[in-house]
Amino acid sequence: MEIDRRAFIASLGGVAAVNLMDHEAKADALEHYMEEKLDAGVAAQQPEKFPTVAEIEAQIETRPFRRGAGSVFTSSRGNVKILEKMPDKPTLHDFFRLRFAPANHVLQSATRAMKTGMSEEIILACLLHDCVLSLIKPDHGWWGAQLFEPYIPEKSAFAIRYHQTLRFYADDDAGYEYPDQYYRIFGHDYQPPQYIADTYKMLKNHKWYMEPRLVTVNDLYAFDPNAKVSIDPFEDIIGRHFKQPKEGLGFDNSPSAHMWRTLSRPDQPL
Amino acid sequence: MHAQKGAVLLFLSGLREKGVRPLFALAVTAASAAAAGQSSSIPGLDITVTKVERAATASLRDCPPGSNTVTAVTRPGEQFALVSVAFKVSQAYRPAPMKRPSITDTTDKAYNTAATFVDVGSVPEFSCTFPFRVPEGTKLKALRIENASFDLSKLEP
Repeated sequence: MEIDRRAFIASLGGVAAVNLMDHEAKADALEHYMEEKLDAGVAAQQPEKFPTVAEIEAQIETRPFRRGAGSVFTSSRGNVKILEKMPDKPTLHDFFRLRFAPANHVLQSATRAMKTGMSEEIILACLLHDCVLSLIKPDHGWWGAQLFEPYIPEKSAFAIRYHQTLRFYADDDAGYEYPDQYYRIFGHDYQPPQYIADTYKMLKNHKWYMEPRLVTVNDLYAFDPNAKVSIDPFEDIIGRHFKQPKEGLGFDNSPSAHMWRTLSRPDQPL
Repeated sequence: MHAQKGAVLLFLSGLREKGVRPLFALAVTAASAAAAGQSSSIPGLDITVTKVERAATASLRDCPPGSNTVTAVTRPGEQFALVSVAFKVSQAYRPAPMKRPSITDTTDKAYNTAATFVDVGSVPEFSCTFPFRVPEGTKLKALRIENASFDLSKLEP
């Protein structure tokens, strides 16, 4: 076992404290320190115990909000904050800056899609695939596709809609593994509901299967807390493929305009 | 480093004088099938297989690796074969998309990894661990990276 001498001495209160200890006390302290380190090392090697579906359900009444609420409506730490007002004619960029921020996960996902040479439709889908989580979480694939559908290529909307389904199904050939985070958030004994199983069956035979599958592949590798990402590399792709309405998102009478308005003004009581 | 070891030895001798049998002496360090690494290269990229291990979980990271926090978990009857590979990039390397590595077992059945090469050449030297989901007890034969093949049988734990 490697011992970090400085850390050990610091744990005892520093050099001065160590100098006051007799030989036996030092030996005791070292043994105690090493036992703690060993325990921590062994604990780290134990497989994580994932919750069951029932255990997750038992947490529902421990929270003042429902898990499905969009992130603009809740705060994980204390009260929610005043949101900066959106411009009169908001653009996608404005939403990224003021409502989807930090959007690190989707930016990582799209960055990876770009670096691995995927199509612009896929890169755009990766960039947008989880943005709707600011509004609502359950069925985020369907909600997300609906939010963006009036403005993006059909393939990108298809990829956003169905990435949610394919996240539940591993695909060795495509390089998609079922993630541990799903054991954590759904329960290790979770079975996707029938409509998800039916959708998966449909997708397996669909000519565009790989569109949402590639979103899931990039999704999996986009949880790096140290990644430095920006929306700047995607400006051209957004310019080419996102039909920004001149009235601003929310004011163009599109089928999803009301969703953009809700994101703009989540503090409206009605 | 020597000073640190000296301090530890001093404390250990104190323990021995007290007749204490330190629990940590029983700690088993992780077995490594390292050594015997084999090297091969594709133009500008020196590749050395360094280790083969087995595990119930596998960290999902690209190659070169970042700090992605997602892990894959095995199902009953499966395990991950973790193949560690060291890479050195020379000036002769010309960045190009690389296929995901694959392995074969002793019956020549092939297995894919979820790990992908992303931005190879962005750092001069790096090491990647490729996870392969295999049935428990599978004996590995070879690793394939692009056109290069590496014998894994000698590195098996």
